[in-house]
Amino acid sequence: MNNIVKVGLGVFVLVAFLVLSGTLYTLEEGQQAVILQFGRPVGQPVTDAGLHFKLPFIQDVRRFEKRLLIWDGDPNQIPTKGREFIWVDTTARWRIADAKKFLESVATEDGAQSRLNDIIDSVVRDQVSASELVELVRSASWEVPPGEVLEEVPAEMQEELKKKIARGREEITRTILAEARKIIPQYGIELVDVRIKRLNYVDSVQEKVYARMVSERKRIAAQFRSEGEGRSAEILGTMEKALRQIRSNAYRQVQEIQGKGDAEATRVYGEAYGGDPEFYAFSRTLEAYKEGQNKNSVMILTTDSDYYRYLKKAGADPVRPTP
Amino acid sequence: MEQRYDPEKILEEMRSHFQGFRGWRIAAGILGAFLLVLLWSTWFTVQPEETVIIQRFGAVHRTVGPGLHFKLPDGIERVRTVPTARVLKEEFGFQTTAVAIAGQRTQYADSKAYKDVSLMLTGDLNVIDVQWIVQYRIEDPIRYLFWVRDTRQTIRDISESVMRRVVGNRLGSDVLTVGRVAVSTEVKEEMQKILTEYEAGVRLVTVELQDVTPPDPVKPAFNEVNEARQDRERTINQAQEQANREIPKARGEATRTISEAEGYTLERVNRATGEATRFRAILDEYQRAPEVTRRRLYLEAIGAILPEAKALYIVDSEQKALVPWLPVESGQLPQAGGSKP
Repeated sequence: MNNIVKVGLGVFVLVAFLVLSGTLYTLEEGQQAVILQFGRPVGQPVTDAGLHFKLPFIQDVRRFEKRLLIWDGDPNQIPTKGREFIWVDTTARWRIADAKKFLESVATEDGAQSRLNDIIDSVVRDQVSASELVELVRSASWEVPPGEVLEEVPAEMQEELKKKIARGREEITRTILAEARKIIPQYGIELVDVRIKRLNYVDSVQEKVYARMVSERKRIAAQFRSEGEGRSAEILGTMEKALRQIRSNAYRQVQEIQGKGDAEATRVYGEAYGGDPEFYAFSRTLEAYKEGQNKNSVMILTTDSDYYRYLKKAGADPVRPTP
Repeated sequence: MEQRYDPEKILEEMRSHFQGFRGWRIAAGILGAFLLVLLWSTWFTVQPEETVIIQRFGAVHRTVGPGLHFKLPDGIERVRTVPTARVLKEEFGFQTTAVAIAGQRTQYADSKAYKDVSLMLTGDLNVIDVQWIVQYRIEDPIRYLFWVRDTRQTIRDISESVMRRVVGNRLGSDVLTVGRVAVSTEVKEEMQKILTEYEAGVRLVTVELQDVTPPDPVKPAFNEVNEARQDRERTINQAQEQANREIPKARGEATRTISEAEGYTLERVNRATGEATRFRAILDEYQRAPEVTRRRLYLEAIGAILPEAKALYIVDSEQKALVPWLPVESGQLPQAGGSKP
């Protein structure tokens, strides 16, 4: 009897436990659940975390993510409008907005990823092929900054840079998002954001770009060198001018000063010698004789010269005026 | 709690009931151990840099800070630990493989895979190699864990996308030189804006550019430009140096010649004045006795000149043909014809 009670108790506990465990379920934070009744979704998806009830045995719980999820596409080689092939790597953020629709249309996250692959890849391909490379790189509002950074950009590249572009990277990204969003709601997915993560030249183009960059640099280097030489020549020219100016100016002043001195001396001499020009001529001539180079010269004097007059005869002559 | 009541275990217990008293003791022992394990899971400690979130039946119930805390046993409440006070770091374009310890050099791995991250296009459609880091803190652990899945990857994706956009709006030479700070500030602001939109619960501490270089194949050409710039400065400086050396020297020389000219003038005037004064003085005396003075002066002069002469010929005033007997061409003058006084 006692044993029968015990067995009965045990069976009861077992059944109670099974019913209870089929009735109660927990939902993790960041998850949502859809209740399936015989495989058919019933009621609204459960989005609050915690302990919840359901009918045992006939209802089943399917849990889905409520968090923001990552979609990361494979990098694609896409030609731009200008026929350049580039690698484009996009990434997107999405979440399961309507768990019921999600369950019906794609069932699992893997299914969703593959749908997103199809949709986003094709939209990105369309948009990239319809855009110039510049538009993918720059913003439409971007303008060349003024100032010295342009020093290192070759002239025709500057022209290229100043060209206005119709669409910028932001607008292309926005268009991609808008286009993709048009198709996606039917899967119960909310596409939050699509971004171009990486953008790069394909290898063969990259080589050419590098070659172009190298030649550009070389040109700039040559320009710098010639600028230096130009400036140097300019400085040396200015220096030469200054030197000539200084020297000729000095020469002019020297001439003026010396001229003034000469004039003054001439005036002084004139005033003094004007007193008796004949005597000046006489005394100056004698001075000149004395100063003159008489060494090694041969002098011939006649006996009627004043100096040797008395050599011939001692008698007094009537004195003649000396020449 | 329900998973602890394993049906098998209960059957086991029930079978043991029939085996009597010994069975009861074993059951009590198992139950005791079970309770002990449950009790053991009711307390936990939190490290200073951590925040712990306690989930009751999966739902967030409360968060606690550092210290000793208690909770309901496993199965009802569970803990998730998040290092909220720690600054976390993401590296882009490189990876620190060994952090420097006490003076040793930090080692970095550098490979092709990182180049995919670091190579990007600039506004002038050139390629540039940018390496950077992002430092962040988990500001809101609940959002960090439960609003975004794989927040770390999200930060990486956003950072790459934003960095490319910002660099795409600049010239390569700008990013390489003066634009570095502006780039990192702009990236940080834009990233934070997007992360806030995503409600990722992350606060950026800093975004910093590390090595920003031209791609390897182009580096020598860039260095050449730098060298050329140096050359330019050097050439200009050399010319300037020459100018600086020569112009002051020329100025000095000019001043010297002018001073010399002034000296010449002074000398000339002084000499003239002196000579004029002397002449006037002589003239005064001369006018008192002109004839005598004249003769005296003449004789004095001849007297001074004659001793200097090499030869002297005194010829009679009647003699006309003088030249024929002078052996002028020989240069050797006969002494007989003349005498030196």
